[in-house]
Amino acid sequence: MWIITRKAQHSIWMRLSLSDSKKTVINIAGYRRFLLVACSVLLVFILSACQNSRGVYIQKLKNQHYRLMVGGRPYIVKGVCYNPIPIGSNHEYDWWSDPHKPWIADGKLMKEMGVNTIRLYQAHENSKEVKQVINDLYKLYGIRTLLGDWLGFWEYPCPFYGDKKFQEKVMQQVTEMVSLYKDEPGVLGWILGNENNYSCLGHVNPWSSPEVDSEPDPQKQKLMRAKIYYSFVNEISKQVHKIDPHHPVGLGNGELVGLDSANKFCQDVDFVACIIYRGKTFGNLFKSLRMTFDKPLLMAEFGADCYDAYLKKEDQNIQAFFLQSQWAQIYENLANNKSGAGNCIGGTVFEWTDEWWKHNSDDPQGWKIQDTESSWSNGSYYSDIRAEGNKNMNEEWFGIIALGAELENGINKRIPRKAYYVIREFWKNPVIKKTPVKKPR
Amino acid sequence: MKKLLVVLLALTLMAPVVAVAEDKAAGPKEFVVYLDKNAKDNHYIPSGWMGDYGDIKMNDQSADSPHTGTTSIQFIYSGKQSQTQGWAGVYWQNPANNWGNKKGGFDLTGMTKLTFWARGAKGGEVIQKVMVGGIKGTYPDSLMVEMGPIELTDTWKQYTVNLVGKDLTYVNGAFGWTATADLNPNGATFYIDDIKFESDASLKPEGKKQQAMPFYIYADRSSVVNHFIPSGWMGDYGDIKFDGSSKEDAYLGDTCVKVVYSGKATQGARWAGIFWQNPANNWGSVDSGFDLSLASKLTFWARGAVGGERIEEFKVGGIMGEFSDSDSATIGPVLLTKEWTQYTIDLKGKDMSYIIGGFAWSANVDNNPEGATFYLDEIKFE
Repeated sequence: MWIITRKAQHSIWMRLSLSDSKKTVINIAGYRRFLLVACSVLLVFILSACQNSRGVYIQKLKNQHYRLMVGGRPYIVKGVCYNPIPIGSNHEYDWWSDPHKPWIADGKLMKEMGVNTIRLYQAHENSKEVKQVINDLYKLYGIRTLLGDWLGFWEYPCPFYGDKKFQEKVMQQVTEMVSLYKDEPGVLGWILGNENNYSCLGHVNPWSSPEVDSEPDPQKQKLMRAKIYYSFVNEISKQVHKIDPHHPVGLGNGELVGLDSANKFCQDVDFVACIIYRGKTFGNLFKSLRMTFDKPLLMAEFGADCYDAYLKKEDQNIQAFFLQSQWAQIYENLANNKSGAGNCIGGTVFEWTDEWWKHNSDDPQGWKIQDTESSWSNGSYYSDIRAEGNKNMNEEWFGIIALGAELENGINKRIPRKAYYVIREFWKNPVIKKTPVKKPR
Repeated sequence: MKKLLVVLLALTLMAPVVAVAEDKAAGPKEFVVYLDKNAKDNHYIPSGWMGDYGDIKMNDQSADSPHTGTTSIQFIYSGKQSQTQGWAGVYWQNPANNWGNKKGGFDLTGMTKLTFWARGAKGGEVIQKVMVGGIKGTYPDSLMVEMGPIELTDTWKQYTVNLVGKDLTYVNGAFGWTATADLNPNGATFYIDDIKFESDASLKPEGKKQQAMPFYIYADRSSVVNHFIPSGWMGDYGDIKFDGSSKEDAYLGDTCVKVVYSGKATQGARWAGIFWQNPANNWGSVDSGFDLSLASKLTFWARGAVGGERIEEFKVGGIMGEFSDSDSATIGPVLLTKEWTQYTIDLKGKDMSYIIGGFAWSANVDNNPEGATFYLDEIKFE
């Protein structure tokens, strides 16, 4: 292109130089300017095309807001956490190889609702099956997949993030996943870990290292563990970017805990994927993140259960009420909304279907009944906090789709709850109010 | 001339009708809670005795210099903690002893304030708070407004509770007061008179006011500047002994907080802690957070009885409920020393505009197998 231009320019110059006029010089200067502008436009076009072909990336706007771009267009993650365990099975069930392909029926319902993304916590070991799920959902329904990795969080006896061998093992696992699926058109991005940061505090799966053990001050120990963990995630993120520059990498994180350390040691992730259970409001979450770790925020896990532990009965109204309020806050904090922090890129609500195994994962009899016993307490879900011992969170009742015992096309019947319809309508017409919804009746 | 007379006559006849209509449109200007013993306008009865009710003596026809009329109500609060609550109070209810189980409240829509007169026998008596509404039950009050603490003088003074913008459609607990033994270690004798709801069109709604700094949680046992109540006992609450007036080497003033955590895991939780809340026992169900936006840090002094006690977390905010704290901040784990040491929770960048849970600590058995005794003092937002 450049050579042709130079040739053409030379020929014109030669022709014009023969006529020898002042006007000619001016014309040549004008032509040069034209060429310069044309080239600039072309360059912008090429760069833009290159960016589009990058697939999925995050754009920082002039007003410092963040938005997710897919195929060159803004993309709001309207997602669900997906783990379709049937009644009578537990988390070890291999739904990926289920001949009835539950994701086909689920994808149809999801599409009708407006879901554009699912979040999977961990890919199955059979890559052919994983590709099948990702491709079916994308090709049939346009639903993309956020693929995650636990980063060895559940390894026995605990995740030794300070240990080189452990790190290498996890690194290899993640890079293999990325290499296997990066070219699938349905992949939206990667999420590293879930609530692994709590292990740095010793709350869940506590771990240590000789270096940490030699420090007597427990507060410093906590910071040392956070440094080790987030530095490691940063290394993984760098490696993922090398293998796959076309998809963003998210840091799975419980609440905002530890993100001041992530700010120092984990700058190479593209977004934070937070797990938040704060009832009807996320409070100051969005602004707080701006202050501590200025990255785009995906609400990777949030929601409400639909069982009233106080009245001991299903309550679809309160679930719908909380979820609509939560989605309204997510939308309020998307890019270019003046009233919000502008750092949210969407959410994946927990969760698509109920999971009947969760209350007691070791009891096969328990997997066949939907347990109503609450396992933990959270005052943010105030409607049933007066339950005995204040235990009001019912793990087996978080689905926006209930499971029926009867089979339809070989899988448990899908029964959409009120929240399904409420969110569907909200996505169609997202009205954001400060006090988003009336109390349910 | 005749016509003029007819018009004048008509106007004369019309005038009272118009006046009545105007009156009717304006509605009543006041609604009496208590004026004088046996006053026909009294609408409520001081029947709702709470907390250490054994500490209260009431004379509802005290003739000792009433504000108006012939009587006022005298309360003698001993502060002896007869029911071991540490506080006591009285609600004016309708009918008597109605804790929301009967329908008896009045629709007071149109009233914009409650006023009352009060004085102490000596001056310096502290009413922790006064309340309008707030009784729950099957027939709950439609509002809950609190004001306080109030330090009384030995002369009559009028106090006003602003009710502009509040829902007064159902008011059973018209007025109430509480006093604490901490704020009145030697008891308190005080008088209340002329309690009434009033309609004052000129009154503006009370905005959420930003609290000035420093804002104390604990200064001294009976300090009127204390805020928040150490009511939120968590985990193995049976493992905790709390003394808010320990005289064992206070850092400043006469007293400090002493906590004895036995670590016996009485409730099986293997951890315990206390939240300082506003009001007492508010886990986010009552809309009563303080606006502490001006605070950039919370500081406190702490020491262990022997040194080495490990507190897992000191915390500001983080109560989540229907009315959640606007943010939270923590430090910990902290290893205490035998010497008083000042600790700081940094609040820069935090949203402190709505705080119900002012301060909290938590400790666990694993790190304190023999339990822990520790002291706290001068807890304040700055």
